[in-house]
Amino acid sequence: MSAVLEFLTSEYSIHLVILVGMYLILSQSLNLTFGLGQLFNLAHIASYAIGAYTTALLSTELEMPFFVCITASVALSALMALLLGGISLRLTTDYFAVGTLAFSSVITALLINWKSLTHGVLGIPGIPRPEIGRTDYYNNSAFLGLLYIFVVIVLWLSYIAQKGRFGRSLRATAEYEQAASTLGTNVGATRTIAFLISSACAGLAGSFFAYYLNYIDPSSFSLGEMIFVLTIVIIGRPGSFWGCIGGTVFLVLLPEPLRFLDLPSAYLGPLRQLLHSVILFAVVWWKRDSIFPKQRKV
Amino acid sequence: MLTLSDLVISFGARVILHGLSCSIEPGETVGIIGPNGSGKTTLFNAISGLVPLNSGTILLKGTHVENLHPHERAHLGLGRVFQNFGIFREMTLLENVLLALESRSSLLRGLLPWSSSSKALTEEALSYLDQVGLAARANEKAASLSGGQMRLLEIIRTLALGSDVFLLDEPTAGVSPRMKDDVANLIKKLQQLGKTVLIIEHDITFIQKFCGRIIVLNEGAIVLDNTPENVRSDERLKEIYFGSESAA
Repeated sequence: MSAVLEFLTSEYSIHLVILVGMYLILSQSLNLTFGLGQLFNLAHIASYAIGAYTTALLSTELEMPFFVCITASVALSALMALLLGGISLRLTTDYFAVGTLAFSSVITALLINWKSLTHGVLGIPGIPRPEIGRTDYYNNSAFLGLLYIFVVIVLWLSYIAQKGRFGRSLRATAEYEQAASTLGTNVGATRTIAFLISSACAGLAGSFFAYYLNYIDPSSFSLGEMIFVLTIVIIGRPGSFWGCIGGTVFLVLLPEPLRFLDLPSAYLGPLRQLLHSVILFAVVWWKRDSIFPKQRKV
Repeated sequence: MLTLSDLVISFGARVILHGLSCSIEPGETVGIIGPNGSGKTTLFNAISGLVPLNSGTILLKGTHVENLHPHERAHLGLGRVFQNFGIFREMTLLENVLLALESRSSLLRGLLPWSSSSKALTEEALSYLDQVGLAARANEKAASLSGGQMRLLEIIRTLALGSDVFLLDEPTAGVSPRMKDDVANLIKKLQQLGKTVLIIEHDITFIQKFCGRIIVLNEGAIVLDNTPENVRSDERLKEIYFGSESAA
């Protein structure tokens, strides 16, 4: 019993719970656009990157306090969504996916090549942990407490957004856009708001990611990361609030047992990605009719 | 109530509506018939705002709506019932009606923590479902309904939206003969409530039950606009449906 308790309170367990918390924000916000709104949003990790880099730059270069950094990260990611949404939400489903993917590639290229600002592939080291008043969060247990205040808020707001009037409107636009619009739903506004909230939350997750690792570089915001978050939403069943939570816990913790296998570290990374790919492929094949239902038209 | 003036719609080189004009009075029930491809559904799509006009104007209750979005026209009192069922099958019956009731309020209010549907709104939705005998199934998915029940749900949902003008596109399509009477009774109820109803229908006998006026469309233009009796006896109707030899 004491061994279990010791394991649960170990640095390793706290690290895993922090990872789960950050991915909960990231996946639940993607669930709003991709799951409920069936908007194949591939720019989610770009919003995550904008949030992370905003916090990293403000806290290292300008020594801005926690609430300024986190607010700026959320606001910039939301602003990006507003600009991108203004263009890409006019596109139909497949083209929307291509448009958001293209935008994501542009952000990655900027992170790598705008060296005077982002330090390119070298990344930004020395990001300090948050300090609120006289309390700092260098201790991981304290950081976990701070993170989960935001996780609970995001999950609560997501639940309200998904289960209430807004979620209904979003689901209606996903199922039959024309019927929804003739029933008084402003399709454009509904999708833009969903995209904005989703992107803002990704920016929040990015901010915590930068604070937690103390170092960020472009490799953390690759297409592989986008596919990982997409896999979480898909295996949890797109649009399902609880499924998304279950999917996050399952997929974030799934590769951990691999660490205890007697394998060279060069194999462990690819093995983790292989495992995610196999799961994604299996679920998409098994649930192919319900994951991407055809939108009805008049 | 609804005035259409010189509506022209074309898809590429193909002209679908050729300067169509007509006026519908408040409380009037008008049937629209015509062969396949005559432009009936396109006309409804144009009135609803789902397809853009090349030219022409649409006046709804005295307001020019030709440049408004579909949801703005819905807020002005335009209701649409689709031929291929416009209900949301993945939602419950209750959610389908709530969606119509909630569209009266701001979308942003739907994001507030206290925005979950009030008891009063739920009761209002249930009372609408009760009018078509579906209240007991309120929490079932709409996909579980029969064609006739789906049609009843769609019409009652449009009534819940607060529409004054109803565009019913083939309301008996996909409805069993037994349930056609239920659909007919609901349309009669709309008439009793003083609603303006336009019905696209192939079954002229069915629309004769309600309509004091029938418009016959052919190749995107109005060929006949008269009482059902006069339309039925007009040789041009036979010509449209069966060709000129049969008319002769």
